[in-house]
Amino acid sequence: MTHEISSLMDGELGPQEAGQALQACCGSEEHKRTWYLYHVIGDSMRGQAPRRLALPSGVLDSLKAQPTVLAPRRKLMDTTFARVSLAAAASVATVGVVGWMGTQGGQVADEGVVARNATGLQPVANTRTQPVLDVQDYLVAHRQIPSPELYRQVNNRAAARAR
Amino acid sequence: MSFPVPRGGRRWIPALALGVACGAHAADDAATWLQRAIQSAHSASYSGIYAHSNGDRTSAVRISHVTVGSEEHERIEPLDGPPLEIVRRNDEMFCYFPDAKTIRLDRRVTAHFFPAILPASSPEAIAASYDLKLGKTESALGFDCQWIRLEPRDGLRYAQSLCAETRSGLVVRAKTFNAQNQVIEQYTFTELKMGSQVARNDVKSIFEARVKRWVTDAQPREEAKSVDTGWTVNDPPAGFRKVTELRRSLPGRTAPVSQLVYTDGVASMSVFIEPNNTPPRTQEASTEDGTTTFFVHPQGDMLVSVLGEVPLATAQQMARSVARRP
Repeated sequence: MTHEISSLMDGELGPQEAGQALQACCGSEEHKRTWYLYHVIGDSMRGQAPRRLALPSGVLDSLKAQPTVLAPRRKLMDTTFARVSLAAAASVATVGVVGWMGTQGGQVADEGVVARNATGLQPVANTRTQPVLDVQDYLVAHRQIPSPELYRQVNNRAAARAR
Repeated sequence: MSFPVPRGGRRWIPALALGVACGAHAADDAATWLQRAIQSAHSASYSGIYAHSNGDRTSAVRISHVTVGSEEHERIEPLDGPPLEIVRRNDEMFCYFPDAKTIRLDRRVTAHFFPAILPASSPEAIAASYDLKLGKTESALGFDCQWIRLEPRDGLRYAQSLCAETRSGLVVRAKTFNAQNQVIEQYTFTELKMGSQVARNDVKSIFEARVKRWVTDAQPREEAKSVDTGWTVNDPPAGFRKVTELRRSLPGRTAPVSQLVYTDGVASMSVFIEPNNTPPRTQEASTEDGTTTFFVHPQGDMLVSVLGEVPLATAQQMARSVARRP
Protein backbone atom coordinates (compact mmCIF):
# COMPACT_ATOMS: atom_id res chain seq x y z
CA MET A 1 0.00 0.00 0.00
CA THR A 2 2.90 2.37 0.70
CA HIS A 3 3.79 2.14 -2.98
CA GLU A 4 0.27 3.22 -3.94
CA ILE A 5 0.41 6.12 -1.49
CA SER A 6 3.71 7.22 -2.91
CA SER A 7 2.36 6.96 -6.47
CA LEU A 8 -0.75 8.87 -5.44
CA MET A 9 1.35 11.68 -4.05
CA ASP A 10 3.39 11.76 -7.21
CA GLY A 11 0.26 11.98 -9.35
CA GLU A 12 1.07 8.76 -11.09
CA LEU A 13 -2.28 7.02 -10.58
CA GLY A 14 -5.28 7.16 -12.85
CA PRO A 15 -8.63 8.42 -11.52
CA GLN A 16 -9.90 4.95 -10.59
CA GLU A 17 -6.65 3.83 -8.97
CA ALA A 18 -6.38 7.13 -7.16
CA GLY A 19 -9.88 6.73 -5.75
CA GLN A 20 -9.08 3.25 -4.53
CA ALA A 21 -5.83 4.38 -2.99
CA LEU A 22 -7.55 7.26 -1.20
CA GLN A 23 -10.21 4.96 0.18
CA ALA A 24 -7.65 2.44 1.37
CA CYS A 25 -5.47 5.18 2.78
CA CYS A 26 -8.24 6.73 4.84
CA GLY A 27 -9.42 3.38 6.13
CA SER A 28 -6.27 2.55 8.04
CA GLU A 29 -4.48 4.46 10.77
CA GLU A 30 -1.20 3.02 9.58
CA HIS A 31 -1.79 4.20 6.02
CA LYS A 32 -2.90 7.62 7.23
CA ARG A 33 0.31 7.85 9.19
CA THR A 34 2.30 6.86 6.12
CA TRP A 35 0.45 9.48 4.10
CA TYR A 36 1.30 12.14 6.71
CA LEU A 37 4.89 10.98 7.02
CA TYR A 38 5.49 11.12 3.28
CA HIS A 39 4.13 14.67 3.16
CA VAL A 40 6.28 15.76 6.08
CA ILE A 41 9.36 14.35 4.39
CA GLY A 42 8.42 15.91 1.06
CA ASP A 43 7.71 19.30 2.63
CA SER A 44 10.94 19.21 4.60
CA MET A 45 12.99 18.40 1.52
CA ARG A 46 11.39 21.31 -0.31
CA GLY A 47 11.98 23.56 2.67
CA GLN A 48 8.22 23.92 3.23
CA ALA A 49 7.82 22.10 6.51
CA PRO A 50 5.39 23.69 8.95
CA ARG A 51 6.70 26.02 11.63
CA ARG A 52 6.43 23.37 14.34
CA LEU A 53 5.83 19.73 13.60
CA ALA A 54 3.28 18.05 15.83
CA LEU A 55 4.74 14.64 15.14
CA PRO A 56 3.06 11.64 16.73
CA SER A 57 5.67 9.48 18.43
CA GLY A 58 5.10 6.76 15.86
CA VAL A 59 6.11 9.11 13.11
CA LEU A 60 9.47 9.66 14.76
CA ASP A 61 9.97 5.91 14.79
CA SER A 62 8.96 5.76 11.16
CA LEU A 63 11.35 8.53 10.29
CA LYS A 64 14.08 6.62 12.02
CA ALA A 65 13.30 3.58 9.95
CA GLN A 66 13.43 5.42 6.64
CA PRO A 67 16.47 4.69 4.49
CA THR A 68 18.79 7.68 4.26
CA VAL A 69 19.28 8.71 0.70
CA LEU A 70 21.69 11.60 0.92
CA ALA A 71 23.69 11.13 4.06
CA PRO A 72 25.22 8.22 5.92
CA ARG A 73 22.78 6.73 8.42
CA ARG A 74 22.83 8.44 11.78
CA LYS A 75 21.18 7.26 14.98
CA LEU A 76 19.56 10.60 15.48
CA MET A 77 16.41 9.70 17.30
CA ASP A 78 17.86 7.81 20.20
CA THR A 79 18.25 10.71 22.58
CA THR A 80 16.24 13.57 23.95
CA PHE A 81 18.71 15.80 22.19
CA ALA A 82 17.66 14.28 18.92
CA ARG A 83 14.04 15.21 19.50
CA VAL A 84 15.05 18.74 20.39
CA SER A 85 17.19 18.87 17.28
CA LEU A 86 14.27 17.75 15.20
CA ALA A 87 12.23 20.61 16.55
CA ALA A 88 15.05 22.99 15.71
CA ALA A 89 15.36 21.39 12.33
CA ALA A 90 11.69 21.76 11.65
CA SER A 91 11.81 25.38 12.63
CA VAL A 92 14.74 26.11 10.40
CA ALA A 93 13.05 24.26 7.59
CA THR A 94 10.07 26.57 7.81
CA VAL A 95 12.08 29.58 6.90
CA GLY A 96 14.20 28.12 4.20
CA VAL A 97 16.79 25.46 3.93
CA VAL A 98 20.35 26.58 3.90
CA GLY A 99 21.76 26.36 0.46
CA TRP A 100 25.51 26.21 0.45
CA MET A 101 27.68 25.29 -2.43
CA GLY A 102 30.99 23.66 -1.89
CA THR A 103 33.65 24.70 -4.34
CA GLN A 104 37.14 23.65 -5.09
CA GLY A 105 39.10 26.10 -7.17
CA GLY A 106 35.91 27.51 -8.60
CA GLN A 107 34.50 24.11 -9.48
CA VAL A 108 31.63 22.42 -7.75
CA ALA A 109 33.13 20.11 -5.19
CA ASP A 110 32.85 16.42 -5.78
CA GLU A 111 34.49 15.35 -2.60
CA GLY A 112 33.59 17.76 0.16
CA VAL A 113 29.92 17.87 -0.63
CA VAL A 114 27.47 19.68 1.58
CA ALA A 115 23.80 18.86 1.29
CA ARG A 116 20.67 20.78 2.00
CA ASN A 117 19.36 19.71 5.34
CA ALA A 118 16.83 21.08 7.73
CA THR A 119 19.46 21.58 10.44
CA GLY A 120 21.61 23.67 8.16
CA LEU A 121 24.67 22.20 6.62
CA GLN A 122 24.85 18.46 6.65
CA PRO A 123 27.93 16.59 5.59
CA VAL A 124 27.19 14.07 2.93
CA ALA A 125 28.92 10.90 1.88
CA ASN A 126 32.60 11.41 1.34
CA THR A 127 33.19 9.84 -2.00
CA ARG A 128 36.85 10.73 -2.46
CA THR A 129 39.81 11.16 -0.22
CA GLN A 130 38.96 14.64 1.11
CA PRO A 131 37.06 14.93 4.39
CA VAL A 132 33.64 16.55 4.29
CA LEU A 133 33.46 20.30 4.64
CA ASP A 134 31.54 20.80 7.86
CA VAL A 135 31.18 24.40 9.03
CA GLN A 136 28.84 23.81 11.98
CA ASP A 137 31.33 24.03 14.80
CA TYR A 138 33.07 27.03 13.28
CA LEU A 139 29.75 28.85 12.89
CA VAL A 140 28.95 28.39 16.57
CA ALA A 141 32.44 29.48 17.62
CA HIS A 142 32.44 32.55 15.37
CA ARG A 143 28.92 33.85 15.77
CA GLN A 144 28.10 32.96 19.37
CA ILE A 145 24.49 33.26 18.36
CA PRO A 146 21.59 30.85 18.69
CA SER A 147 21.58 28.26 15.99
CA PRO A 148 20.61 24.62 15.62
CA GLU A 149 24.32 23.89 15.88
CA LEU A 150 24.42 25.52 19.30
CA TYR A 151 21.47 23.44 20.48
CA ARG A 152 23.32 20.36 19.30
CA GLN A 153 26.39 21.22 21.33
CA VAL A 154 24.47 22.10 24.48
CA ASN A 155 22.31 19.01 24.32
CA ASN A 156 25.32 16.83 23.65
CA ARG A 157 26.90 18.15 26.82
CA ALA A 158 23.66 17.59 28.76
CA ALA A 159 23.46 14.03 27.45
CA ALA A 160 27.09 13.40 28.35
CA ARG A 161 26.47 14.64 31.89
CA ALA A 162 23.45 12.36 32.22
CA ARG A 163 25.48 9.27 31.30
CA MET B 1 50.75 77.50 -18.83
CA SER B 2 47.12 78.24 -18.47
CA PHE B 3 44.06 76.40 -19.61
CA PRO B 4 41.49 78.29 -21.63
CA VAL B 5 38.49 79.11 -19.59
CA PRO B 6 35.26 79.16 -21.54
CA ARG B 7 33.20 82.23 -21.37
CA GLY B 8 31.31 82.22 -18.14
CA GLY B 9 33.44 79.32 -16.94
CA ARG B 10 34.86 81.21 -14.01
CA ARG B 11 31.41 81.34 -12.60
CA TRP B 12 31.63 77.58 -12.15
CA ILE B 13 34.69 77.72 -9.93
CA PRO B 14 32.92 78.94 -6.78
CA ALA B 15 30.14 76.49 -7.47
CA LEU B 16 32.68 73.69 -7.85
CA ALA B 17 34.41 74.70 -4.64
CA LEU B 18 31.06 74.77 -2.92
CA GLY B 19 30.31 71.31 -4.28
CA VAL B 20 33.57 69.92 -2.92
CA ALA B 21 32.91 71.58 0.39
CA CYS B 22 29.41 70.16 0.44
CA GLY B 23 30.78 66.72 -0.41
CA ALA B 24 33.17 66.89 2.52
CA HIS B 25 30.37 68.18 4.67
CA ALA B 26 28.14 65.30 3.59
CA ALA B 27 30.86 62.81 4.49
CA ASP B 28 31.19 64.48 7.89
CA ASP B 29 27.46 64.28 8.31
CA ALA B 30 27.51 60.60 7.42
CA ALA B 31 30.29 59.99 9.94
CA THR B 32 28.28 61.83 12.58
CA TRP B 33 25.22 59.75 11.80
CA LEU B 34 27.30 56.58 11.91
CA GLN B 35 28.75 57.60 15.26
CA ARG B 36 25.23 58.12 16.61
CA ALA B 37 24.13 54.75 15.22
CA ILE B 38 27.03 52.93 16.88
CA GLN B 39 26.58 54.79 20.15
CA SER B 40 22.82 54.49 20.29
CA ALA B 41 22.81 50.69 20.02
CA HIS B 42 24.72 50.61 23.32
CA SER B 43 23.28 53.58 25.19
CA ALA B 44 19.61 53.68 24.18
CA SER B 45 16.77 51.70 25.71
CA TYR B 46 14.77 49.74 23.20
CA SER B 47 12.61 46.66 22.97
CA GLY B 48 11.12 44.95 19.97
CA ILE B 49 11.14 42.14 17.48
CA TYR B 50 13.33 42.07 14.41
CA ALA B 51 13.43 39.84 11.37
CA HIS B 52 16.79 38.72 10.05
CA SER B 53 17.55 37.07 6.74
CA ASN B 54 20.94 35.91 5.59
CA GLY B 55 21.16 33.87 2.41
CA ASP B 56 18.26 31.44 2.53
CA ARG B 57 17.82 31.66 6.29
CA THR B 58 15.23 33.84 7.95
CA SER B 59 14.57 34.21 11.65
CA ALA B 60 12.74 36.42 14.12
CA VAL B 61 14.22 37.57 17.40
CA ARG B 62 12.81 39.47 20.36
CA ILE B 63 15.33 41.86 21.90
CA SER B 64 15.21 44.23 24.87
CA HIS B 65 18.08 46.50 25.80
CA VAL B 66 18.58 48.83 28.74
CA THR B 67 21.70 50.66 29.87
CA VAL B 68 22.06 51.41 33.57
CA GLY B 69 25.05 53.59 34.31
CA SER B 70 27.90 51.95 32.46
CA GLU B 71 26.25 48.54 32.33
CA GLU B 72 24.40 47.24 29.33
CA HIS B 73 21.62 44.76 29.99
CA GLU B 74 20.00 42.85 27.22
CA ARG B 75 17.55 40.01 26.78
CA ILE B 76 17.42 38.12 23.50
CA GLU B 77 14.92 35.43 22.58
CA PRO B 78 14.84 33.74 19.18
CA LEU B 79 11.22 33.18 18.21
CA ASP B 80 11.91 30.18 15.99
CA GLY B 81 12.96 26.75 17.15
CA PRO B 82 13.24 25.35 20.65
CA PRO B 83 13.11 27.80 23.55
CA LEU B 84 16.29 29.74 24.17
CA GLU B 85 17.02 32.96 25.97
CA ILE B 86 20.21 34.97 26.25
CA VAL B 87 20.58 37.47 29.05
CA ARG B 88 23.59 39.69 28.56
CA ARG B 89 25.30 42.00 31.01
CA ASN B 90 28.05 43.83 29.14
CA ASP B 91 30.13 40.98 27.69
CA GLU B 92 28.84 38.30 30.06
CA MET B 93 26.23 36.13 28.38
CA PHE B 94 23.89 33.76 30.21
CA CYS B 95 22.27 31.42 27.72
CA TYR B 96 19.23 29.55 29.05
CA PHE B 97 18.39 26.25 27.36
CA PRO B 98 15.31 25.02 29.27
CA ASP B 99 15.02 21.76 27.31
CA ALA B 100 18.54 20.80 28.40
CA LYS B 101 18.08 22.51 31.81
CA THR B 102 21.38 24.18 31.06
CA ILE B 103 22.64 27.71 31.56
CA ARG B 104 25.60 28.20 29.28
CA LEU B 105 27.95 30.90 30.45
CA ASP B 106 29.77 32.63 27.66
CA ARG B 107 31.81 35.75 27.11
CA ARG B 108 30.91 37.87 24.12
CA VAL B 109 33.73 37.90 21.63
CA THR B 110 32.24 38.09 18.16
CA ALA B 111 28.50 38.07 18.85
CA HIS B 112 26.76 41.24 17.74
CA PHE B 113 23.03 41.34 18.05
CA PHE B 114 21.04 43.73 15.91
CA PRO B 115 20.88 46.72 16.12
CA ALA B 116 24.44 46.65 17.55
CA ILE B 117 25.77 44.95 14.44
CA LEU B 118 28.87 47.08 14.10
CA PRO B 119 31.68 46.10 16.43
CA ALA B 120 32.52 48.90 18.86
CA SER B 121 34.68 51.02 16.59
CA SER B 122 34.96 54.60 15.50
CA PRO B 123 33.57 56.03 12.26
CA GLU B 124 37.14 57.10 11.46
CA ALA B 125 38.32 53.48 11.54
CA ILE B 126 35.38 52.44 9.38
CA ALA B 127 35.97 55.37 6.99
CA ALA B 128 39.44 53.98 6.28
CA SER B 129 37.83 51.08 4.43
CA TYR B 130 34.42 52.45 3.47
CA ASP B 131 33.12 55.65 1.86
CA LEU B 132 30.38 57.01 4.09
CA LYS B 133 27.38 58.60 2.45
CA LEU B 134 23.96 59.73 3.50
CA GLY B 135 20.99 58.36 1.60
CA LYS B 136 17.33 59.22 1.68
CA THR B 137 15.13 59.47 4.71
CA GLU B 138 12.07 57.35 5.14
CA SER B 139 9.45 56.40 7.65
CA ALA B 140 9.67 53.01 9.33
CA LEU B 141 7.34 51.74 12.06
CA GLY B 142 6.17 55.29 12.58
CA PHE B 143 9.71 56.58 13.07
CA ASP B 144 11.62 58.82 10.69
CA CYS B 145 14.95 57.30 9.80
CA GLN B 146 18.03 58.28 7.81
CA TRP B 147 19.84 55.83 5.54
CA ILE B 148 23.64 55.71 5.88
CA ARG B 149 25.57 53.96 3.13
CA LEU B 150 28.94 52.28 3.76
CA GLU B 151 30.53 51.76 0.36
CA PRO B 152 33.67 49.59 0.43
CA ARG B 153 36.83 51.11 -1.02
CA ASP B 154 37.87 47.74 -2.44
CA GLY B 155 36.36 44.39 -3.36
CA LEU B 156 37.38 42.75 -0.12
CA ARG B 157 34.25 43.60 1.86
CA TYR B 158 30.53 44.08 1.37
CA ALA B 159 28.57 47.33 1.16
CA GLN B 160 26.15 48.12 3.97
CA SER B 161 23.21 50.43 4.42
CA LEU B 162 21.90 51.35 7.85
CA CYS B 163 18.67 53.21 8.55
CA ALA B 164 19.03 55.23 11.76
CA GLU B 165 16.06 56.64 13.63
CA THR B 166 16.48 60.39 13.43
CA ARG B 167 16.01 61.29 17.11
CA SER B 168 18.02 58.56 18.81
CA GLY B 169 20.25 57.32 15.99
CA LEU B 170 19.14 53.75 16.66
CA VAL B 171 19.46 51.51 13.61
CA VAL B 172 16.03 50.14 12.76
CA ARG B 173 16.93 48.55 9.43
CA ALA B 174 20.17 47.28 7.90
CA LYS B 175 21.11 45.69 4.61
CA THR B 176 24.28 44.11 3.27
CA PHE B 177 24.97 44.03 -0.47
CA ASN B 178 27.23 41.88 -2.60
CA ALA B 179 29.37 43.13 -5.47
CA GLN B 180 26.34 43.00 -7.78
CA ASN B 181 24.49 45.28 -5.34
CA GLN B 182 22.07 42.50 -4.41
CA VAL B 183 20.85 42.34 -0.83
CA ILE B 184 22.36 39.26 0.79
CA GLU B 185 21.53 40.00 4.41
CA GLN B 186 19.02 42.24 6.10
CA TYR B 187 17.62 43.14 9.46
CA THR B 188 14.45 45.04 10.15
CA PHE B 189 12.50 45.76 13.29
CA THR B 190 8.89 44.71 12.96
CA GLU B 191 7.96 46.01 16.42
CA LEU B 192 9.87 48.63 18.35
CA LYS B 193 9.46 50.74 21.44
CA MET B 194 12.10 53.04 22.82
CA GLY B 195 13.08 55.16 25.79
CA SER B 196 10.75 55.26 28.76
CA GLN B 197 8.46 52.70 27.17
CA VAL B 198 11.06 50.04 27.97
CA ALA B 199 10.89 48.62 31.49
CA ARG B 200 13.83 47.38 33.52
CA ASN B 201 12.07 44.03 33.81
CA ASP B 202 12.13 43.62 30.03
CA VAL B 203 15.80 42.65 30.21
CA LYS B 204 15.44 40.10 33.02
CA SER B 205 15.26 36.39 32.44
CA ILE B 206 11.82 34.95 31.88
CA PHE B 207 13.06 31.39 31.50
CA GLU B 208 14.90 31.16 34.80
CA ALA B 209 11.72 30.36 36.72
CA ARG B 210 10.75 27.60 34.28
CA VAL B 211 13.33 25.11 35.51
CA LYS B 212 13.90 24.13 39.14
CA ARG B 213 17.45 22.89 38.92
CA TRP B 214 19.63 24.39 36.24
CA VAL B 215 22.98 22.93 35.33
CA THR B 216 25.62 25.55 34.69
CA ASP B 217 28.09 25.03 31.88
CA ALA B 218 30.96 27.51 32.25
CA GLN B 219 33.31 25.94 29.73
CA PRO B 220 32.52 28.39 26.89
CA ARG B 221 33.30 31.35 29.17
CA GLU B 222 36.58 29.82 30.29
CA GLU B 223 37.59 29.14 26.71
CA ALA B 224 36.79 32.67 25.60
CA LYS B 225 39.72 34.12 27.53
CA SER B 226 42.38 35.69 25.37
CA VAL B 227 45.66 33.81 25.07
CA ASP B 228 48.73 33.99 22.90
CA THR B 229 48.16 31.22 20.37
CA GLY B 230 51.55 31.66 18.69
CA TRP B 231 49.85 32.24 15.32
CA THR B 232 49.50 35.37 13.22
CA VAL B 233 48.17 36.53 9.85
CA ASN B 234 51.01 38.11 7.90
CA ASP B 235 48.93 39.70 5.16
CA PRO B 236 45.45 40.66 6.35
CA PRO B 237 43.46 42.80 3.87
CA ALA B 238 43.86 46.54 4.48
CA GLY B 239 41.78 47.79 7.38
CA PHE B 240 41.43 44.44 9.12
CA ARG B 241 43.00 44.33 12.57
CA LYS B 242 43.09 41.58 15.14
CA VAL B 243 40.76 42.13 18.08
CA THR B 244 41.42 38.96 20.04
CA GLU B 245 42.86 35.49 19.93
CA LEU B 246 41.91 32.51 22.03
CA ARG B 247 42.17 28.77 22.25
CA ARG B 248 39.00 26.70 22.45
CA SER B 249 37.82 23.13 22.20
CA LEU B 250 35.59 22.11 19.32
CA PRO B 251 33.49 18.95 19.21
CA GLY B 252 35.28 15.89 17.89
CA ARG B 253 38.76 17.34 18.26
CA THR B 254 41.29 15.95 20.68
CA ALA B 255 43.47 19.08 20.55
CA PRO B 256 42.37 22.67 21.23
CA VAL B 257 41.75 24.94 18.26
CA SER B 258 43.31 28.41 17.98
CA GLN B 259 40.95 31.22 16.97
CA LEU B 260 42.08 34.67 15.83
CA VAL B 261 39.36 37.28 15.32
CA TYR B 262 39.82 40.16 12.87
CA THR B 263 37.53 43.08 11.98
CA ASP B 264 37.56 46.16 9.79
CA GLY B 265 34.98 47.81 12.02
CA VAL B 266 32.07 46.41 10.03
CA ALA B 267 32.84 42.85 8.93
CA SER B 268 34.56 40.26 11.10
CA MET B 269 36.41 37.04 10.45
CA SER B 270 37.57 34.16 12.60
CA VAL B 271 40.72 32.31 11.65
CA PHE B 272 40.87 28.79 13.09
CA ILE B 273 44.09 26.79 13.22
CA GLU B 274 44.12 23.14 14.24
CA PRO B 275 45.96 19.89 13.49
CA ASN B 276 45.10 18.60 10.04
CA ASN B 277 44.36 15.06 11.04
CA THR B 278 40.68 14.31 11.22
CA PRO B 279 41.30 12.94 8.54
CA PRO B 280 43.90 15.08 6.76
CA ARG B 281 42.71 17.46 4.06
CA THR B 282 45.03 18.08 1.14
CA GLN B 283 43.01 20.53 -0.96
CA GLU B 284 41.52 23.93 -0.33
CA ALA B 285 37.73 24.14 -0.22
CA SER B 286 35.07 26.76 0.38
CA THR B 287 31.38 27.39 0.92
CA GLU B 288 29.37 30.61 0.73
CA ASP B 289 25.89 31.49 1.95
CA GLY B 290 24.55 35.01 2.24
CA THR B 291 27.28 37.10 3.82
CA THR B 292 29.00 34.10 5.38
CA THR B 293 32.03 32.61 3.71
CA PHE B 294 33.98 29.58 4.88
CA PHE B 295 37.36 28.70 3.42
CA VAL B 296 39.74 25.93 4.46
CA HIS B 297 43.43 25.83 3.59
CA PRO B 298 45.69 22.89 4.45
CA GLN B 299 49.08 24.10 5.57
CA GLY B 300 51.46 21.24 6.21
CA ASP B 301 50.32 19.38 9.28
CA MET B 302 47.92 22.18 10.21
CA LEU B 303 44.52 23.13 8.84
CA VAL B 304 43.59 26.82 8.57
CA SER B 305 39.88 27.67 8.32
CA VAL B 306 38.47 31.16 7.89
CA LEU B 307 34.82 31.98 8.53
CA GLY B 308 33.44 35.49 8.28
CA GLU B 309 31.09 37.97 6.69
CA VAL B 310 33.41 38.70 3.82
CA PRO B 311 33.85 37.80 0.13
CA LEU B 312 35.76 34.63 -0.65
CA ALA B 313 38.89 36.49 -1.82
CA THR B 314 39.22 38.10 1.62
CA ALA B 315 38.98 34.77 3.42
CA GLN B 316 41.52 33.28 1.02
CA GLN B 317 44.00 36.11 1.55
CA MET B 318 43.70 35.66 5.31
CA ALA B 319 44.04 31.89 5.33
CA ARG B 320 46.99 31.78 2.94
CA SER B 321 49.04 34.17 5.02
CA VAL B 322 48.73 32.45 8.39
CA ALA B 323 52.11 31.73 9.94
CA ARG B 324 53.76 30.95 13.25
CA ARG B 325 54.58 34.12 15.10
CA PRO B 326 58.35 34.56 15.14
